[in-house]
Amino acid sequence: MEYLIHLAVLFSIFSILALSLNLVVGYTGLLSLTHAAFYGIGAYVTGILMVGHGANFFVGLGAGVLAAMLLALPISMVLAKFRGDYYALVSLGFNVIVFSVLLNWQAVTQGPLGIPGILRPELFGLVFSNSFAFLVLALILAAGVYWLSQAIVSSSFGRVLKAIREDEEALGVFGYRTQTYKLVIFVIAAAMAAVAGALYASYTSFIDPHTFTVSDSIFMLAIIVLGGLGSLRGAAVGALVLVLLPEILRFVGFTPDIAAQMRLVVYGIILILLMHYRPQGLMGEYRL
Amino acid sequence: MEIVPQLVLNSIIAGSVYALVGMSVSLTFAVTRFFNLAHGAVAAVGGYSVLYLAKTLGLNLGLAVVLGIAAAAATGYVLERLIFRPLRTRQASSMMLLVASLGAFTVLQALLAILFTSQFQSLSGLAPAGSLHVAGAAITIVQLITLLVAVLVLVGFWLVLTRTRFGKAVRAISDDEEVANIVGINTHRMIGYVFLLCSGVAGVAGILVGMDTGLEPTMGLSLLLKGVIAAIIGGVGSIYGAFLGAFLLALVENLGVWQISGEWKDALAFGVLILFLLFRPQGILGKRP
Amino acid sequence: MKYAIQTKGMVKEFGGVRAIDKLSISLSKGKITGIIGPNGSGKTTLTNVLTGFHQMDGGTIVINGETEHGRLRSREVLELGITRTFQGVRLFEQLSVLDNVLVVVTKRSVWGALFERHQKFHYDQAKEVLERVGLWNKQGAKAAELSYGQRKLLEIARTLATKADIVLFDEPYAGLFPEMVKMVSGIMTELREEGKTIILIEHDMALIRQLCDRVVVMDAGKLLAEGTPHEVLADKRVIEAYLGA
Repeated sequence: MEYLIHLAVLFSIFSILALSLNLVVGYTGLLSLTHAAFYGIGAYVTGILMVGHGANFFVGLGAGVLAAMLLALPISMVLAKFRGDYYALVSLGFNVIVFSVLLNWQAVTQGPLGIPGILRPELFGLVFSNSFAFLVLALILAAGVYWLSQAIVSSSFGRVLKAIREDEEALGVFGYRTQTYKLVIFVIAAAMAAVAGALYASYTSFIDPHTFTVSDSIFMLAIIVLGGLGSLRGAAVGALVLVLLPEILRFVGFTPDIAAQMRLVVYGIILILLMHYRPQGLMGEYRL
Repeated sequence: MEIVPQLVLNSIIAGSVYALVGMSVSLTFAVTRFFNLAHGAVAAVGGYSVLYLAKTLGLNLGLAVVLGIAAAAATGYVLERLIFRPLRTRQASSMMLLVASLGAFTVLQALLAILFTSQFQSLSGLAPAGSLHVAGAAITIVQLITLLVAVLVLVGFWLVLTRTRFGKAVRAISDDEEVANIVGINTHRMIGYVFLLCSGVAGVAGILVGMDTGLEPTMGLSLLLKGVIAAIIGGVGSIYGAFLGAFLLALVENLGVWQISGEWKDALAFGVLILFLLFRPQGILGKRP
Repeated sequence: MKYAIQTKGMVKEFGGVRAIDKLSISLSKGKITGIIGPNGSGKTTLTNVLTGFHQMDGGTIVINGETEHGRLRSREVLELGITRTFQGVRLFEQLSVLDNVLVVVTKRSVWGALFERHQKFHYDQAKEVLERVGLWNKQGAKAAELSYGQRKLLEIARTLATKADIVLFDEPYAGLFPEMVKMVSGIMTELREEGKTIILIEHDMALIRQLCDRVVVMDAGKLLAEGTPHEVLADKRVIEAYLGA
């Protein structure tokens, strides 16, 4: 039971990441490889505030979201200059830079030692210390992100995002400031990723920079490419499949070390096969 | 040991490695129009092959190096035939090719980790030892070889591209693949050869890095990124630009290491890339806006 | 306010080659003006400059005889009452036919759009223009699934939905079946009756004769001739330009 709850918590966290990344990649057509950076910012700000300053989880979460948004703004302004594979490359660069900061700004982040002892959330005396209570919180936040994403994509704003993805230049002639739209959705997605980061920090109680690398951004991309670009349900399905995958590998009998690498092999093969046979993913509508 | 000469020398050495990866990634980009993110992992395959052949099997070093280069070349060629060519014939976008190469990179890196563990391993025991002193700075034999190889590869590329029919075909493809096809160039075969050649060069880089510092499965990504950055700041598609870009990048990095600290090297490299893309997107030698 | 659009000494260069060379033309308000000329004479470049896709290298554009613009940005042209179709048809391919139209009738501001779902009056506007081009029964299909002719009609419906006063049609008839040609011509004349200004780039001289009030002839980026269709098509210089004398 404890094990199933653990998987469900991971699923909630990765659903949030996948849903938010899908807003940027699947709906707006921007191949961002920097999502793990905002995930990391959310985790670190929450962790530092809780451990270093005894802040409440929800205060940390709010601050983490705010920090991610503030960081996303200039990053997205630079990214606005690029398209296609250059966009992917520069966004990847920002992930490397944020990772370097987490690793090397030791006075604040404790570098490779990471931040241990992050507590579980507490609200009005209610402590989410047992796993089930935490799962409920994680599911509520994931559902909130789903609901918000749904509201965004079914609004006029969402239609504009999809039109940007299809032909940004043509859309411009109909009076849209497409750059502002791209900026706003990028910042919103970063905020959502920070929520996932805060949850992760509090759940594992220990964070270090190596959870927020380029490889993790690639993993998030794999989730949404598998589940389906431009589909919210697809993002959730992709998260489910790729969270369960390592468990299946372990079940098959690989040692943990090998299983971890086999997982990457499978992700890689999934990406390659999808590009060949189903570039829109399982449930998606958009091909890169 | 004096700081400034050593700094310059270190930049030249690092620049040589970046140049090998940068020139080869630039040439593949010129004919395929996408950044092959698996290129760095191919370099790592070269290094690990030598590790296996020379250290585990005890093969003669020269033979192991030749086979290692061949292994890298073959790996790149297989990726092209199995993954990239089918996508190209289906008119896949460069983003799809990029994502597929991301997949290939992930698979190769993980396979290396499974076969050789994630531990840091060195080829240094195999390489010729010793070092020279130039103007108060030290350079090892391996580093000297790296520099020589980079220059040789540059000259080699230049000869191949300007003096051979293959080179002419490659230039035609990089101008316009469709037109090249119409005038009777077998573009698929030529692109296959480009992958073979460039992956071999990447393999050389991987082997030299293994001898100078060491090998780990994750080395591919950082090698590739440095190569891509060198290629972009030099002017994408120009191998001479990539060569210059590599040394500029290495110089900036080493200045950073000297003035700030070594840990910020990767961040600095991307900072350089972003600044270039914002203010001189065509790179040092590029023409296209 | 006789003219909807005037260009004054407009210059547009591509890599040193002048696609538009000191072009000064005046396009009458409320009329259908045809722009003709051999291939490469600069017609599409003119459309692109007038809708902010390209920036001029010299000269100015006057809209409605009011302000003089040294540069037009594409996102500003609709506010000035200008819209266009594209030579190669540019739709939002993976969006439904309905969404392709809705996207030009809903709110433009980011915050407005974020808190807006399309309302009945948006829907009604879209329905009206889609019925006008006979695509209402295709409203749920993706744009990419339409036939070539239907795609051109959808693009026209999208321009109608913008309610712009000046519409630039870049070869709207190319590749259309006769009954679709009739429908498009009907729309053009209806738009003129509504007082809108139409600028029509077209190769078919029969259609030019039939529809246009005025014709502007371009050659090598310059103005070659201007007048009624009858005058212009009888002009020796125009005939020479077409025959490549």
